Amino acid sequence: MSDKPNDFIDQYQAWVREGLQTWSRQFDPKAASPGAGSSEAVPGDIMGRLFAGLAGYGDWMRSMASGESPAAPFGAGMPPCGQGGVGMPPFMQGGVGMPPYGQGGAEFLSMGMPPFGYGPPPGATAQPGSESFDEWARVANETLSMPAFGLNREQQEEQQALLRAWIDYAGHYQRYQTLLQGVYERAGETLRGQTPPGDAESMRSVYDRWVTLVEESYAQAALSAEFREVYASLVNAQMRLKVLQQSQLERVSVQAGMPTRKEVDSLGERLQAVRRELRQMHGLAAEVEALKAEVAALRAGTGKPKPAKAAPAAAVKKAAAKSVKRPPRGKSP
Amino acid sequence: MTSNPFHIDPQRAQAEVDAFRRKLEAGLETLKHVGPIELGTTPREAVYREDKLTLWHFKGEKPPTAKTPLLICYALVNTPWMVDLQEDRSMVRNLLAQGEDVYLIDWGYPDGADRWLTLEDYIDGYMDRCVDVLRKRHGIDAVNLLGICQGGVFSLCYTALHAEKVRNLVTMVTPVDFHTPDNMLSHWVRNVDIDLFVDAIGNVPADLMNFAYLTLKPVRLNQQKYVGLVDILDNPKEVENFLRMEKWIFDSPDQAGEAFREFARDFFQKNLLMKGEARIGARQVDLKKITQPVLNIYAEQDHLVPPAASTPMKRVVGSKDYTALAFQGGHIGIYVSGRAQKQVPPAIHAWLEKR
Repeated sequence: MSDKPNDFIDQYQAWVREGLQTWSRQFDPKAASPGAGSSEAVPGDIMGRLFAGLAGYGDWMRSMASGESPAAPFGAGMPPCGQGGVGMPPFMQGGVGMPPYGQGGAEFLSMGMPPFGYGPPPGATAQPGSESFDEWARVANETLSMPAFGLNREQQEEQQALLRAWIDYAGHYQRYQTLLQGVYERAGETLRGQTPPGDAESMRSVYDRWVTLVEESYAQAALSAEFREVYASLVNAQMRLKVLQQSQLERVSVQAGMPTRKEVDSLGERLQAVRRELRQMHGLAAEVEALKAEVAALRAGTGKPKPAKAAPAAAVKKAAAKSVKRPPRGKSP
Repeated sequence: MTSNPFHIDPQRAQAEVDAFRRKLEAGLETLKHVGPIELGTTPREAVYREDKLTLWHFKGEKPPTAKTPLLICYALVNTPWMVDLQEDRSMVRNLLAQGEDVYLIDWGYPDGADRWLTLEDYIDGYMDRCVDVLRKRHGIDAVNLLGICQGGVFSLCYTALHAEKVRNLVTMVTPVDFHTPDNMLSHWVRNVDIDLFVDAIGNVPADLMNFAYLTLKPVRLNQQKYVGLVDILDNPKEVENFLRMEKWIFDSPDQAGEAFREFARDFFQKNLLMKGEARIGARQVDLKKITQPVLNIYAEQDHLVPPAASTPMKRVVGSKDYTALAFQGGHIGIYVSGRAQKQVPPAIHAWLEKR
C-alpha cells in the first residue's frame, strides 16, 4: 500500500478526533453559548454511542492502513453480564470501545460501585492469564484455604471465600477473553486470505467487509459448545462472587442498623403472597355476591337468574372502573 | 494467502472522507434541532390499570368493523411501543385502519415490589383479568389474542389454559422450540445457574438484558450502526426515526426476578413448552388444547427467534386450522419496515375476518 492512504488516514484520524472534541464542546452545557439551541433534545447516550462507533471506525481505518492489528473488536473484553476489565465485576466496569456500559452507562455503573469485595485482590500485581498471576493465584489459594481462628473467625472465612471466588472469576474471565481474541484472529486471517477486488473499493465497503467477517467468526464461536461452557462458567463465577460480596454487605448493614437486602426481599415475598391472597378473596367475594343474587332471584321468582359465571366479570368491571379513576401516567398522549 | 486484500484508490478515499465530513457538519445542525422523541402515536385510553399494568384501547379514525376485539400481548422485555412506533410505522394504526378493535397490554416497569411476580401472576393473573375486562366490555365470551415474541409464548400458555376465552390466536415471532441449533440466546443460557443468577441479582436489570442482546452481534450493533448513522445525519426525519428506534431499544423495563427465573429455566433451558411439560403455577400447559384457529407469523431473518424455533408450533398445537406466514425481514423489521406495514396488518385482518 502506498504512503498516500496512510497520510490521509492520519489526517482523517486527526480530523475525527478534532470533530469529536468539537462536538463534545457543543453538547457540553457549560460550554454552550446562550441561545445555541437546546442540548436537552439530543440524548447524551446517543451521542456517546455515536462517538464510540466513530472512534472504533477510525481505529479500524488506522490499523488497516498501517498494517497493524486493530484493537480487538470487543474492546477491553466483553463478559456475558456486562463490560469488565481485569479484576472488575462486569456489572460495575466501563470500558473503551463498548458503548452500552463503557460510555452512556458509566454513571449508572459508578453509582453501583460497591465499597469492597471487587477490584484487584490484595497482593495481585500480575494480570490474569500471565504465568506470574497463575503462580500468585496458586499461593493465594493455598493461603486462603487455611483455617480461621478467634473472635472474627466468621468474617475472616467470608473474606477468604470472597478472595478465592475472585481468583476463580479471574480465571474464567481469562478463558472468555481468549475465546474472543480467537474470534478476531480468525476474522483477520480470513480477510487477509481474500483476493482484492478488481475495482477500487471504498473505505466503508472494506470496513463493512471486515465487520461481516468478524460477526461471522463471532457467531461461529458463540454457537460452539466451548463458548457455551465458558460463558456459563463466567456468569456463574460472577454470581458466586456477587453473592459473597452481598453477604459481606449484609453484615455491614446489620452493624450499621440498616435494612438488608435479605430483609427487603423477605418483605417483598410476603407482600406478593398477600397480593395473591387478596385477589383470590376478591374473586371469592364476587362469586358469593353472584350466588346471593341468584338465590334472591330464585326466591323472588322474578325470572331467570343470571348464571354465576358472569359474576367474576362483573367484579372485574367494577375493579376496572375503580382502577381507571387513578390519574393516568406519563405516556398517554 | 494474499498479503494485501484491499484495493483502495487514494483519491476516491479522500473524496469519501470529504463527504463524510460534510455529513458530520450537517449532522451537528440536525442534532441541535431534534425535538423530544416520543413513542406511541396512536390516540389511546386506559381502560384498566392494576399495579404497573395498563390495558390500552386504541382509537382509530373510523369505528372498528370487527366484532371481536384484538388484544395484543407484548413481551416483558422492552416496551410494547414497537407496535406503535410512529405514525407511518405503526402496526396498531394499520390494524385500526383495517377495521380491527385493538387493545394492548402494557406491562409497565417492574421494580423491587414486583420481584416475586411469577409467570402464573402474569398469565393467570394480569393477562386473564385483562381478557375478562374485554369480555365484559364487549359482552362476548372470547377475544382474539395477538401475542408477540415472549408475549406469544404467554398467549400460547394462556390459550391452552383458558381455551374458552380465546376465539382466534395470532402469534408473531414466537418461539416454541427453544433448543434449535441457531438460537444463540438459548445456547448461552443453557448452562447458566439460573437460580444462583436470580438469587444474586433479584430483578434482572434492563441494561443487562440490553447488553446481552447487543452481544448477539457485537460489532454490528455497537459500532457499525453508529458509523452508519453518519450517512443520515443530514436528514432530520431519518435522524428522528433512528433516535426513536434507539429510544425504544434502550428504554426497557427490568425483569421481575421470579418470572425471569421460571422463563429462563423452564423454557430456555429445559424446553418444556416444546415437550408439553411446561407448568404455569400448578397447571400443566398442554398446547394440544389449543384447538382454535392459529396464525403464526415469523420473520425469516430473525436472529432472536429463528424461524426454526417458531415453525414447530404447527406440530405442537391441537388446532386443525393452522396458518403460517413467513415475513421477509428481521425481528424488528416485522413491525416497522415499510413492507411490514403493507403486508402484516392486512394479512392479520384478512385471516381474522374469515373466522
